[in-house]
Parts: sequence; C-alpha cells; structure tokens
Amino acid sequence: MEIKFVLNHKQVAIDVNPSMRLLDVLRDVCHLTGTKEGCGEGECGACTVLVNDEPVNSCLMPIINVFGKEVITIEGFRETKAYKVISSAFADMGGSQCGFCTPGMILASYAVLRKNPHPTDEEIRIALSGNLCRCTGYQAIVNAVKLASEKGVKL
Amino acid sequence: MIHYFVPSSLKEALKILNENDCYIFAGGTDLMVQKHLSSGLLPNFDKDVLFIMKINELNYIEKDNEGNIHIGATTRYNEIEASSLIPEIYKTVIKEIASPNIRNMATLAGNIGNASPAGDSLLPLILNDAEVVLSSIDGERIIKVQDFILGVKKLDRKQNEIIKEIVIKPQELDYFYRKVGSRKAESITKVSFLGGYKIEKNRLVDFRVAFGSVSTKVVRNQEVENKYINKELKDIDIDSVVNDYTNLVTPITDQRSNKEYRHKVAMNLLKKFLKEIKGGRDE
Amino acid sequence: MPSKGYQILITMLPKYLTSVKKVDNEEKMSGMAIFTGDILMEDAYYAIPVRSTISFGKILEIKVPTLPKNYYFISAKDIIKENVCNIIVDDWPVFADKETHYKGETIGLIVGPDKKKAIELSKLVEVKYEEYEPVYEMKNSYVHKEFVKGDKEVFKKASKVFSEEFETGYQDQIYLEPQGMLMWLDGDKITVKASMQCPFYIKKAIMRTLGYPEDKVRVIQPAVGGAFGGKEHYPSLMGAQLATAIVKIKKPIKMIFDRKEDITFTTKRHPSKTNISAYLDDKDNILGVKIHVGIDGGAYIGCSMVVLSRALIAATNTYTFDNVEIVGDAYCTNKIPSAAFRGFGSPQSIFAIELFINHLADFLHVNPVDLRTKYLVKTGDITSTNGVFRDPIILKDLIDKAFEMSDYKRKVKEYSKPGTYRGIGYSTFLHGCGFTGSGESTIINAQLRMKKDKDGVVTFYTSQVDFGQGNRTTLKRIVVDTLGIPEDKVIYDAPDTDQTLSTGPTAASRTIIIVGGLVAKAAKHLKEIWIDGKEQEIVEPYVGPSYIKWDEDTMQGDAYPGYAWGVNVIEVEVDPITYEVSIIGTWSTYDVGHAIDERIIIGQADGGLAQALGWAYLEKEEVSDGEFKQTRMSDYVIPTFVDLPKMETALIDNPFPYGAFGAKGAGELTFVGGAPAFAIALEQAINRKVHKIPATPEYIMELIENGN
Repeated sequence: MEIKFVLNHKQVAIDVNPSMRLLDVLRDVCHLTGTKEGCGEGECGACTVLVNDEPVNSCLMPIINVFGKEVITIEGFRETKAYKVISSAFADMGGSQCGFCTPGMILASYAVLRKNPHPTDEEIRIALSGNLCRCTGYQAIVNAVKLASEKGVKL
Repeated sequence: MIHYFVPSSLKEALKILNENDCYIFAGGTDLMVQKHLSSGLLPNFDKDVLFIMKINELNYIEKDNEGNIHIGATTRYNEIEASSLIPEIYKTVIKEIASPNIRNMATLAGNIGNASPAGDSLLPLILNDAEVVLSSIDGERIIKVQDFILGVKKLDRKQNEIIKEIVIKPQELDYFYRKVGSRKAESITKVSFLGGYKIEKNRLVDFRVAFGSVSTKVVRNQEVENKYINKELKDIDIDSVVNDYTNLVTPITDQRSNKEYRHKVAMNLLKKFLKEIKGGRDE
Repeated sequence: MPSKGYQILITMLPKYLTSVKKVDNEEKMSGMAIFTGDILMEDAYYAIPVRSTISFGKILEIKVPTLPKNYYFISAKDIIKENVCNIIVDDWPVFADKETHYKGETIGLIVGPDKKKAIELSKLVEVKYEEYEPVYEMKNSYVHKEFVKGDKEVFKKASKVFSEEFETGYQDQIYLEPQGMLMWLDGDKITVKASMQCPFYIKKAIMRTLGYPEDKVRVIQPAVGGAFGGKEHYPSLMGAQLATAIVKIKKPIKMIFDRKEDITFTTKRHPSKTNISAYLDDKDNILGVKIHVGIDGGAYIGCSMVVLSRALIAATNTYTFDNVEIVGDAYCTNKIPSAAFRGFGSPQSIFAIELFINHLADFLHVNPVDLRTKYLVKTGDITSTNGVFRDPIILKDLIDKAFEMSDYKRKVKEYSKPGTYRGIGYSTFLHGCGFTGSGESTIINAQLRMKKDKDGVVTFYTSQVDFGQGNRTTLKRIVVDTLGIPEDKVIYDAPDTDQTLSTGPTAASRTIIIVGGLVAKAAKHLKEIWIDGKEQEIVEPYVGPSYIKWDEDTMQGDAYPGYAWGVNVIEVEVDPITYEVSIIGTWSTYDVGHAIDERIIIGQADGGLAQALGWAYLEKEEVSDGEFKQTRMSDYVIPTFVDLPKMETALIDNPFPYGAFGAKGAGELTFVGGAPAFAIALEQAINRKVHKIPATPEYIMELIENGN
C-alpha cells in the first residue's frame, strides 16, 4: 500500500508492504544509508531516527506506523544548525570512534537537548541509554552533549 | 497469503477482527523482534496482521467521574510518562522499561497483550486491580488484568476482541518497587517485585505483593494478602510471610539467570519490603 | 613528573589537548561514511551459510534440494585448489568436508539473487552425519608451551606453597557493525570490500584456496564499524568461501551477518583456566612461582598458539620473580574456534596473577599493596623469558598518581569496615607492543610506500585499517609534522591492496609503535632527498631494534620491542539484597610513551576499560551442548551509558626511543587491567574471594551465601 509521510522535510509516498521496517525503507528503498543496523532488535540504537522529533528504533518500526508523520534521518538532520553544534562538540570531545553508532547517537543527543537544554551528566546518560557504543566507554559522548548544551542547540 | 489490515477507526477494526484471525499490532516493539527474519526482509508473520496505531480514537488518557484513569490502546509509554493524570507508581515502573527510544513506540496495551512473565508494567496493573476493556463487534466486557493473562503468551481473549483501553485506579498505597535486570538500562527483567501497603494506627489495612519473572505469569495471591490485612504491625512475622510466598515463587533457569538466584532475590526483596512496612522493627 | 600538565587532561578541555581534528569525523557523523552494508550493488547475490548442526562427526551425505535457476550450493566439492583457510595454523577448512568439528561450521553456501529464497533453500539442505562424542572441556591439548626462568631446583626448597585456580569466560567483541563482505569480479580479478582489520590476510586466504597469483585478488577497505580483534581472522574465512563461490557463479556476492548470526558463529575471546602456585621460604619470601595457563581454542587452532604465547609471556605481569616456571596449553574442543580479541591472551593471565598476589598477601597476613610493591618490576629486571626490561619503567609514578586521583588510601581503609558493601581495588599491568619477539622483522617485514608528485603532494600507503582507533588521523599527522608541510598536501587513504605494500595486520597494538615508526622514518627519509618539482617515490623497509633476539621454540629472549604500562583503580558498590554491582568510579594512569594525540589515547583508554568491565561482570556467554546460550544483544549484554561511571584518566609522558615521536602502543593496554581491578574491588565490598569472571549477581550470591 502507499505510505505517505514526510521524510527529511519532503512529502513522500512509498508503495511498500505496511509491515516493512522503517529501517529497510530508508536504506533499501530510499538509499539513505546513514541509518545503520547494529542488532535488528531495538537494543543498540544505531538505527535511531526521529519521528515527530522523538528518537525511535527504526528497526522495530513498521513503515505503516510513520504514516502521516515526520521522519528525520541523519541525512536530513545534517543540514541543520543544530547538527553543526552537536557534531562539532562530538569532534571536540572525541565522541565518535568507529562511527557506526554515531549518526543514531547524534540524533538521540539532539532529542535529549531538545527536551532538556541543560541536562546533568546523569540525565544525559539516562536519556541516551538506548544507544550503545562499544568504542568510547561513553564518557566522551557525555562530554560532547554537555559541550553542545553549553554552546546551545538552536531549535 | 498474509493480509495486512490498517483500519482508521475502532469500528472498522472490530469488523476485520470478527472475520479474521489476526495479530493485533500496536507499537510492535515485541512483535517485530519475535517475527524478525533477516535484515532487508519483511517480518515473518504466519497469520494476518491488524495494525492499530492509525486508530486515533484509541489514543487518550482520561479521568472519569470516579477518578479512574482510562488509557487508550494506542497510547505509548512516553505519553503515559508525561501525563499528570497517571499515578507515580506507574511512572516509576515505566521509566525502567526498555529504553527511551522504545518507550517512544511501545504501548501499555501491547505489553499486556504480549503476556510475557517479564512484562514490567503488569506488576502495577495487577497489584492495583487494573482492568482492561475488551471490545468486539458484540459489545464490551471488562476484565481484571490479573484474570486476563492466563500464562506465557496466553490471554483470555476471543479472536474478535481487542484491548480498547486499560482502566487504572488512582494511587492510594505506599509502594516498594525493584526491577532486577541484567544491567541498569535496556534490560529484560530477571526478577521484579512490587509491594503495596497502607498503615492506619499501626495496623496494616492494605497489603499487596506481586512478583514478576518468577513464574508463568505475575505472582499475586490475594489469599495470602488477606491473612495479613488488618493485622497489627507487631504481629506481622516476616518469616511467616516469606514462608507463605516461598512456594508460590517458582522461577526457571534460562539464558538470563538461574532459578536459585531468582528465588533468593525475590525473597530478599519481600523481606526488605516487610522490614520497610514494619519501620525497621523486628529485625 | 609532569603531574600538573596532566591533571588538566582529566577535565578533557579540548584547548589543552595536543589533538587534531580526526580526518574521518565529518564522514562518520554525517552518515556519509560508506560501510560494507551501505555499498549499493543491486545485482549482488546473497550468500547464506548452511551450517553443521552437530558438534563433532562424520559428514555422510549432503542432500541439496533441487535448486531453481540462478541458485547455487557451494561446498567443499567446489574448492578450486586447497580447502584451507589461511590463518596462522592452517587447520581450519574453508568448508567442512568429511568431518565437522563444531556446531555452526560452514558446510556450504546457498547463493542466489533473492535473500529470502536463499534462506529458505538453505533450510532445505539435509546433512546426514555419523556423530562422534564431542569434547567441550579443556582436556585435549593441541598446543603446549613451557619455559623456565632461574633455577627449577628452588621449588624443592620451599617451606610452604600457596595455590589457586582462576577462570575467565568467553567474550564477544560486539563491534557495532556485524561482519560483512561484498565481492565482485573486475575482469577476472577478485575484488573485495569487507568489514575487516587485515586486508592482506583476506587476500592471502583467497589466493591460497584458489591458487591465484597476487595480481588476481584485490582487497579494498570501506568504513569499518569496530573490530577489537574480531575482524582479524574471521573475514579470511568469509573471503575464501565467497571466492570459491564467485569463481563458479561469476556474479557479485554479498554475505552480511545479522547480529544473531554474528554472535552465534564468529570467533570469541578464549575462555581460560589459570593455576598459580607461589613457593615460599620460611620467612615468607617468594622463592618462585609456577603458572599454568590453559585456554579453550575451540575446534581449530587458527591463531590460538600465538594467543597462548602472549598469555604466557604476560603471566607474571608487572612482577619480577627470580624463579619462574610457566606452562601453557591451548585445548581443542568441539566449539566455535576462539581467536583474536583486544589483549590477545594477556587479559586472562593478568587477571589471574593480579588476584593471586592479593590473595597471597591475605594468606601471608601482609598488606597487599606492600607485597605487590615488593615484587614490582624495575628498569633492568629480567623478564620471565630472560629478556630485559630496558626502557625506563615509571610504574611507581603511575601508581602514586592513580592513588592520588582516586583517594585510594583513604577509601581502602574506610571500606574495610564491615557493612559498607563498598570496595576499591587496583591493578597494575603491562602490554608488549607489536608482534611477539622478532616477528616484526622475520614474519611481517613491513614495507612502506611513499611518493611525492611535482606539486609537492605526498601520498603514502599502509595496510592499517582505521576501525575507530584514529590511526588514519595519527599516521597522517606523523607525516605532516615530520615533513612540515600543510595537512592538505598529504594524502593517506584507506588501504587498497593494489596500492599499498603490506605494512602488516592492524593488530597487536603495533600500528603506532611499529607502522608509525616506519611512517616517520619514511617521511624523514623523503625530507632528506626532497627535490622541489620532481616526482619521487621511496619504499622504506622496517628495521627492528637490533637488541631484539627471540626464539619462539624455547620462548627465550626479548618478547617485545617495547612495553606500555598502566594502572586502573576501580570503586564498586554491591547491593546486598539483589547482589548487583554498581561501578562508582574509575581512575586510570597510563604510560604509552609519548601520546601523539591525547584525545585519541583517552578515547582508547575509556573504551578499553569499558569493554574490560563488561567482560568482568556483565558479559556472560555460556555454552550448552556446544552452542552459545546468549545469542542476542538482549541476552548477551554489554554496558550501556548508565552502567558505567565517570572515567578519569591521566597520561604520564615517557617517550620511547623507537616509536614515532616517542609513542608506544595503546589499543590493547587499556583493556588489560580492568577485570582484576574490578574483581579486587568487589572482593572488598563483599568480603569474599573472587576466582572467576564474569562476576555476575548469580555468582556473587553464591559467594556471599556460601562464605569463603
């Protein structure tokens, strides 16, 4: 069936099976490969995208559940000012190593700051607890989100 | 041939359910894992699927005249967490479920429908005698969550029924909750405990206990609870309460933990709860 | 000691760091980096493994269903030249042929254009077996090593002996990107992109099984989402399998594992069992120490003999004992072969000796810090393999600094009071950088190609893969700084075996100390012969320090060109009701020589320790009937943001004369000390002795309930 939604600020209509994973629609149909698959069961968060500004695991979301909603992937988010602030904070603090969790981590970090512009370390850790990283030990990412919050993510 | 139904009203959904045996698909965070085949492939459903998240009329949190709170079937955890109508204990429990990302997708009704013994939200629902409203083309019926869940993945649901809403009572007890998982976030519960109580003039006027992940369904036993209700605090003997529960808690060994640990921790949590009730006396 | 300067590091303010912007930051953050699974090749066929369902037995018959057009079953019968996967020991076949030695061994591949169809067909392949009795316990040794330092006779003179056994479990790398490979034909040249660590290993494996010459195989590295050792050898097997298929099918083929398949069937860290005995005289001096390290190598040796070597050489860790007998065995079991993982055997034996020394102190009723200090290695000491610790050892400074940062002395006293359920522990540790012994000169023989064009643009090539460690940034920077030219005048791309000579595998913490040194040397050389406006090219061979003499058969001599050092202090709290552990804080100090890029080193430090802590208490991988029980990331759990505390790290500068800009290795070092420091802290919190990891709440309950 035809699924209509807004993808990275553009209205799209995609004719696929309604049970198809949002992740597969993004990667295989739209060729937006910035969204990664790390586990396929909602544990790692590498597939994080924003649906109506909330971070979700696109590996668990059937495409029908974004009908009429707004989806932002890293490809859309990287055009924003908020991305510039967050990504430069990640660079300054060493928040990205292998890079596989990074697009999802950056989107989740944005969602944290959108809800809570000045989070404590603990609030950052709790809010990002659905995104796993095997490289950094997380400290650098906490520092990066902290730094981005100091610089201010303009929404 | 699998059919995928996407109704946009409850009425439409009920009609479909009356004619087809379907998976009822809400947030999908459990079903998508259970039916996952491989990257790039459709989930491997073996019967028809009814997607309900487009039914906007089921997305609500409302308070009725009696103070009961009604949560529509497509209401997600993050909406419940954010609502001022929801009693604190539910929020406490929900905050420890899965991850923030998953709570942006998953529904309370889905957690009930999934009927997993490790379903965390079932503890406060069962402890507080919450009910589900089941809707079908024939009308509605109301059943306690405790009676609705029969066992692992087993519900007292007819093929043509759908969970329309959950009805929870306003909070009036003091609670003690602990979820013990494999780690501090995103963890599947190894054992969980929720106790509720109310004390008036050194007398226990309400007393409830529920254990998760230690049996085929959440363990709550009103017969045992009734033994202690209206007793004076000084007459509550911790060992005797533990003794009453020890055989009701029948965990298994699996890839997440072992039965000895689950049993021991369940009893430790019960003791800790009882000590809290007794205000640290009778150590 | 430059403590003031390094204090600043702890707060990690970027303006004080010596770091430069990582070259791959932007592509990775923006999602533009192309990983193997991101490569668009729509006509590629899918390869789905058909795996053995028994642990050990004879393959009697393989019944393949009638395959539709364009679907193939590839197995041992299709082998072009040799059914051998080139790892270190060639005992691992590309496809199981007459026998299968573990559950999950690849018997064949179903290859075809539709993934779902290929999966369905793979399930219809019927294999008939004659089952043999499998062995799951460590009892059949297939590699045995032993060596002695000092005088064996002294053991007879001991007045008492203290002995203990320690165990460590499997660990999965859980690189965030699962294993994957894409292979296609460019004319008749096999071309590979894969999630990998060692492009030349894959190339060699393909050449070997097909009998192909160098120029018919090309391996190119795309972005790689973590590896930690797990992509050192397994991709060679995938490469040999797909190459066998592609020769027949002549279509692009991809094989990308789902997470469950990756956890269930790829190589893990070796489980271990270590026995240590201290032989004491009547004044409680240690006369000598005997150590036996056993590692579970799984069904095939692969690289287990080298893992065993490192485990044995590291077995005395940071302590000098005059008389040492070290024995080790790698055991053959009918399980998934174990292979490389950050630390490569040394975390297992160092876990054992660190706990042992602490327990020995208790046994002797002396303060563990005093006992550990008494035997602490010093510059000039003789190693357990009769080599020499030549470079300045600043371990004492590292310990003092870590104690100061963590307030160790106050806390260790405070937590000794009963009922606090808190504990603090520390570990000291070392890591030999580079290949064991003279391997760099005799086995690897790295050669570096560097060229300059007429405009003065310098391009250099290595076979080093950057899977997150930041070596693309650091190696480039070595050239930029040595030549003193702007960054945009230096080109350094990811490896392509058609462009680069082999500078060896990305393993063994050798990238900066060995390849970095080579890169610096080449750049210096180029600078010396630099002529403006002229094209120039040099090939710089690796020349090891002349003092390194090593005999692998007798395990005698200098095991490594240099050692990096570290101290971890860990504080924990235990919940006596649920037996869960919370890590309160970590404080670490390291001597990695001179840190070229401090931000990158701190990243290695935090990440390595995080992974070590996962191994120490969270990551449980059990085997039941030859199969892993935890096969998903919800069951095999790694630390999340909230499982780990704030980590504080300080580096102490101690430049190493042979490394680039004084650098030694850092990647593995940071893993080595986490588990013992954790376990020692846990012991204090629960007033019990720990003898195995992972120290799960279930194990902690047993310890608390059963007493010591």
